[in-house]
Amino acid sequence: MSVPSPHSAPLSPAAPLLEVSGLVKHLGGKRVVDGVDFSCRAGEVLGLLGPNGAGKTTSLRMCYGFLRPDAGSVRIAGHDLVTAGDAARRALGVCTQDDSCDSDFTVRGNLEQTARYYRPKLADVHARIDELLTQFGLDDYANHKPETLSGGYKRRLMIARAVVHRPQVVFLDEPTTGLDPQARMGVWELVARLRREGMAVVLTTHYMDEAERLSDRLILLQAGKVRATGTTQELLGNVVGEHVVMLPTASPGAAQVEAWLRGRRLCPSTVLADWHFALDAPGLAAFVAAFPELRYEVRPPTLDDLFLTLAKEDRP
Amino acid sequence: MNANNVFRPAIDWQSRAVMGRHLRVHLRNWQTAAVPPICEPLIMLLAFGVGLGGQVGTLLWRGETIAYLAYLAPGILAYTAFMTSFFQSLYSAFMRMHYQKSWEGQLTTQVRLEHVVWGEVLWSATLATAYAVIVCGVLAGFDLWGPLDLHWTWVPLIVPLTFVAAMAFSAVGLFFTAIIPTLDHMGLPFFLVILPIGFASSTYFPLPDVPWLHAVVQVNPLHHLAEGLRRLLLEGTPTWHLAAVPALSAVMLLLLMPLDLRLLRKRVFGDA
Repeated sequence: MSVPSPHSAPLSPAAPLLEVSGLVKHLGGKRVVDGVDFSCRAGEVLGLLGPNGAGKTTSLRMCYGFLRPDAGSVRIAGHDLVTAGDAARRALGVCTQDDSCDSDFTVRGNLEQTARYYRPKLADVHARIDELLTQFGLDDYANHKPETLSGGYKRRLMIARAVVHRPQVVFLDEPTTGLDPQARMGVWELVARLRREGMAVVLTTHYMDEAERLSDRLILLQAGKVRATGTTQELLGNVVGEHVVMLPTASPGAAQVEAWLRGRRLCPSTVLADWHFALDAPGLAAFVAAFPELRYEVRPPTLDDLFLTLAKEDRP
Repeated sequence: MNANNVFRPAIDWQSRAVMGRHLRVHLRNWQTAAVPPICEPLIMLLAFGVGLGGQVGTLLWRGETIAYLAYLAPGILAYTAFMTSFFQSLYSAFMRMHYQKSWEGQLTTQVRLEHVVWGEVLWSATLATAYAVIVCGVLAGFDLWGPLDLHWTWVPLIVPLTFVAAMAFSAVGLFFTAIIPTLDHMGLPFFLVILPIGFASSTYFPLPDVPWLHAVVQVNPLHHLAEGLRRLLLEGTPTWHLAAVPALSAVMLLLLMPLDLRLLRKRVFGDA
């Protein structure tokens, strides 16, 4: 499938299909991506997380060639995106945030036209398109124009288009934003299918449940740098803590709790009328001992807590 | 951005694939797409050539008295190539880039921005040339009917000449595509730049006897295209104007394409 190139090394089966190292990008005089490294293997879903402005989309746009990095490299299936761009682009598929379906073509026409933008050409393009229309539930809409589709089906078409040429690495930039719960679940099933087919999938999302369910591994970006990496539980444990205590701000002992937290250099997040703060196991034991009469809830941390923690860290 | 990165993509398969997409869409609507290149010269020849020409009668061209209709016919041919390529590279390309997002869809594939832009240039030039050929057919009809007496020996030269000139015109159109903020501003390049260039080019009427204007039009390929085609069709003589068309077009492409690509990269990707 790929074009031989002096800049393309043969990949061992265990080697990552996506290798990103030392990415740096300045935009508008600001260093928005600052030395980002990550990789993704075949059959793995990598979630890219971070608050707004963390550098997720800029990193992703460098990975699929929309932006040129100021430093660093991106290798797709062993091909350097700069020096062996054609081969690298042949091996990647992209589903952008914005709806970019071609309104001059039908659903089937969109897939046919996208296939024309790849060389070497697909030998079995019509069979592949029929297969995708069935797999993505687009059979009934094959001859419809994209603007007549619902948001969920448009997104299905976007993802089908991204994989029409059987790429090895797929980038999905917020694939479920703006979709209703049923359509979101439909997209989740498609992502699971891509993983089963052995593609390396990189995904960004603002939905914490989605990142948690879909990703095998998460990369957390903050201020253009990789803040943490690992499974959801590893990330939460390392960045947030083991337990989260939820306490109404109007509790009788709130002032004492605030003083106790200040003594431990902890600052609670306020969510509506509750304080949320993370504690490790000894910390929780100390809290229980210090406030035996207090009523509160203890729960495991979620990715929402992670974002609240990062937001606090980002505050000047 | 070196010259290889700017001009080499013009001959890459991706640029042809982008052009092929536009061609496919256009051919699907060929019945309606064929109306403007047939009707526009027909209306212009009847309204201006026969109608206004009936009032004007004759005019002086190169010291000879000729019918206004004969003067106008080659001008319409040049003007068609000019306007078609401008319209495609300005309005249609802007729609594809800004509203349809078809550029973004192409850019997620093996197609790079250079290919999208060259694809637009090649498509504009192809359509402009095809329209010029259709206009030739209309002129041939007038020739057969009687009001025109044209020389057809060198007519195949019209194809490469209009193609090259239309490429240069579309490079100007893409410059405006890159800088106009919204569709509401589309009128500005049309009325401030394109129409003045179009009319001050010996297309619809001879240039007035103003020395600075005669000096300025020497760098306008449309003027040379109109004058070259006029000598070709009215006298059957290829002249230096025909050599000036590819030369000036090449200079325009050399100057404008790197600028267009830089501006469009900033516009599309937000990256200088």
